[in-house]
Amino acid sequence: MTIAADDRRLNNMPRTEQTAVERRDRMFGWLIASPSLGLLFLVILFPVFWALYTSVHDYTLIAPNFDTFNGIDNYTKALGDPEFRHTLWLTAFFVAAVVLLEFALGFLVALMLNSVERFKAIYYAILLCPLLMNPVIVGLIWRMFLHPSLGIVNYLLSLVGIDPVNWLGSTKVALWTIVMVDIWHQVSFMIVLLLAGLSALPREPYEAARVDGASALRSFWHITLPLMLPVIAVTLLIRLIFAVKTYDLVYIMTRGGPGVATDLVSYFIYRTAFVGLNIGEASAMSAILLAVIMGLTVWLHRYMRSLT
Amino acid sequence: MLKKWLLAAALATGLSGPAFAETVNILMEGVPDTEYVKTLLPEFTKETGIEVNLEVVNYAEMHTKLVPQLVAPTGSYSAIVVDFYWVGEFTKAGWLQPLDERIKADNFDTSVYVPKLMDLVGKVDGTTYMLPFYNYAMGLLYRKDLLADEKNKTDFKAKYGFDLDVPKTWDEYLKQVEFFTKDGINGVVNQGLRPDPIAMEWSNYLFANGGEYHDANWKATLNTEAGVKAIEQYATNVNKYGPIGSASFSFDEAFNVMAQGKAYSYITYNFFRAGIDDASKSAVVGKVEIMPVPGTEAGKGGSLNGAWGWAIPKSSPNADAAWKFLKWVESPAIAKKRALQGGSPTRTDVFDDADVNAKYPYAKALKEMLLTSHNFPVFTYTPQLVEVLGRELSLAVAGEKKPAEALVAIETEMTELAKKDGKLK
Repeated sequence: MTIAADDRRLNNMPRTEQTAVERRDRMFGWLIASPSLGLLFLVILFPVFWALYTSVHDYTLIAPNFDTFNGIDNYTKALGDPEFRHTLWLTAFFVAAVVLLEFALGFLVALMLNSVERFKAIYYAILLCPLLMNPVIVGLIWRMFLHPSLGIVNYLLSLVGIDPVNWLGSTKVALWTIVMVDIWHQVSFMIVLLLAGLSALPREPYEAARVDGASALRSFWHITLPLMLPVIAVTLLIRLIFAVKTYDLVYIMTRGGPGVATDLVSYFIYRTAFVGLNIGEASAMSAILLAVIMGLTVWLHRYMRSLT
Repeated sequence: MLKKWLLAAALATGLSGPAFAETVNILMEGVPDTEYVKTLLPEFTKETGIEVNLEVVNYAEMHTKLVPQLVAPTGSYSAIVVDFYWVGEFTKAGWLQPLDERIKADNFDTSVYVPKLMDLVGKVDGTTYMLPFYNYAMGLLYRKDLLADEKNKTDFKAKYGFDLDVPKTWDEYLKQVEFFTKDGINGVVNQGLRPDPIAMEWSNYLFANGGEYHDANWKATLNTEAGVKAIEQYATNVNKYGPIGSASFSFDEAFNVMAQGKAYSYITYNFFRAGIDDASKSAVVGKVEIMPVPGTEAGKGGSLNGAWGWAIPKSSPNADAAWKFLKWVESPAIAKKRALQGGSPTRTDVFDDADVNAKYPYAKALKEMLLTSHNFPVFTYTPQLVEVLGRELSLAVAGEKKPAEALVAIETEMTELAKKDGKLK
């Protein structure tokens, strides 16, 4: 289907002139795609619209019905709730921290791995280990590692004379601890994606640059970075969207505490729905979050395209 | 031809019916008492021919697994266990079957249950929806070896002017916490994680100071001297006398600190009493005892009550078989067998049983704990209240809110929830 469309564009053919073969191809394409489209509709579009519909009703788990339409009440209530706004800001900070740090670290490791010739498979295997783990397990393992008096991390620190760190019990440290664990868990994702991009880059520009006597830094800045931009954009986008959804780590490691220091928005929405039993308001919060993520995604996508 | 096939199919299903034994499906939490029940199940199957299938999951998963099954016209669980947290929600939503008729028809005696437990996980507004399964009232675990130490005794007397002994009042206990924070040991370990660990533990502090959550008309009574003192003492214990990081401990982490001999005391669920004598988990076997959380004066307790109840959901596919199971598992003989394995009883006859007392001398303390315990507010929004408590208490412990500010915030939200539930007019 796409090949046919490309051909047409190449030949500058008007849209109406479709051959019978093309039409049959098109039909066949739809036929092939329809099961997945149907499934996508069922598991993505339908729930989204259902949630939007719920968000304008007074729908609770105690009275699960759509009897009371209350317009934008749930939205104004959510936005007027200082706790919800706090979780939004905190999530924005968390996302910025993990995405940027993971990108910086991931790109560095990817560049290093790209120039490695031997044992590449072994490095890959080691790197992929954390990524294969379920976030719940990651949270549990790290909770044990970070136990202030019985955990291994503080024990190792004590060997070099560092006082025990209150990893999860201090309001100043807890969020950074979650950021650190998230980096440990997710940085391989960045590495793998960026490495795939790097290994697909053409060799010729580098050879030309070398002939012209460009330094490694210059060829990185003027060749690698521009060529990698599309891959970087996609990697950042995917990671950003995943990071906004972070829930498991907080649920397992801190439950939003101490105080409200790690209360990320996904966990807050979950609590509104299943502890507060207020599905209507939780749906409104989700809709707000969806709008924010979509806005961010569109902006990032456009910005990255403008750079290329 | 088709007719023949249909006939064959009908015969096959008709004949194979009796070949499949009836099965009672129950969703349960992975706790010691569930394990004890599991070991006794073959007896039930032998007696009744009914198979029992226990689906054992982690606490966090239970509510999310239960609700869809309870909302459905016919769910997959024949019987369920209900935490006292959910009692208000489940009964208000109409998900549980009243048991009174079955109890009457079978002459099942519910008067043997500890009355406080019947209030918590038995009756709601006069109707019996549950049979109390096991209780997890909170008590004070303390190091009896440290109390008996002669040097500690003389030092303590010199410092405070009265004898070092099992604390009779809450103030006495707090002095001991201060005293024992020395030589690499902490006077206390707390479970400061949001929301339920901190909310449940702090409730003991509230009751111990003579406070309550609300009066008879559900008017919040938290922002009082007792409430403020309870928060101040809790924050001091976490920040000054507790191990580093206890503001984020769940009960397993706090228990480990106690079990490794690094703390003098720990206010926790009664089922940890058995665990502390398990040499595979504990370095202080035989050195720890449990008692009711002391109150403002001798004889008054500050313990928080907690319990699970057996119930039959309206969506139960086989309620009669489920009732047979409930009747059996709560019969005196089986309840006693469970207690003898280390289970936590809810029946007074089991608490008073000679064999149980011979095997577990602390059974008396556990009973005393229940009798002097206080109930947490049970209404539709109990989980929501726990959430609010967790947030505000955690903020107060972190020093980001003053005790009175936190209490005002809790009262405001609690009042709103009680109004929404129709408890507060």
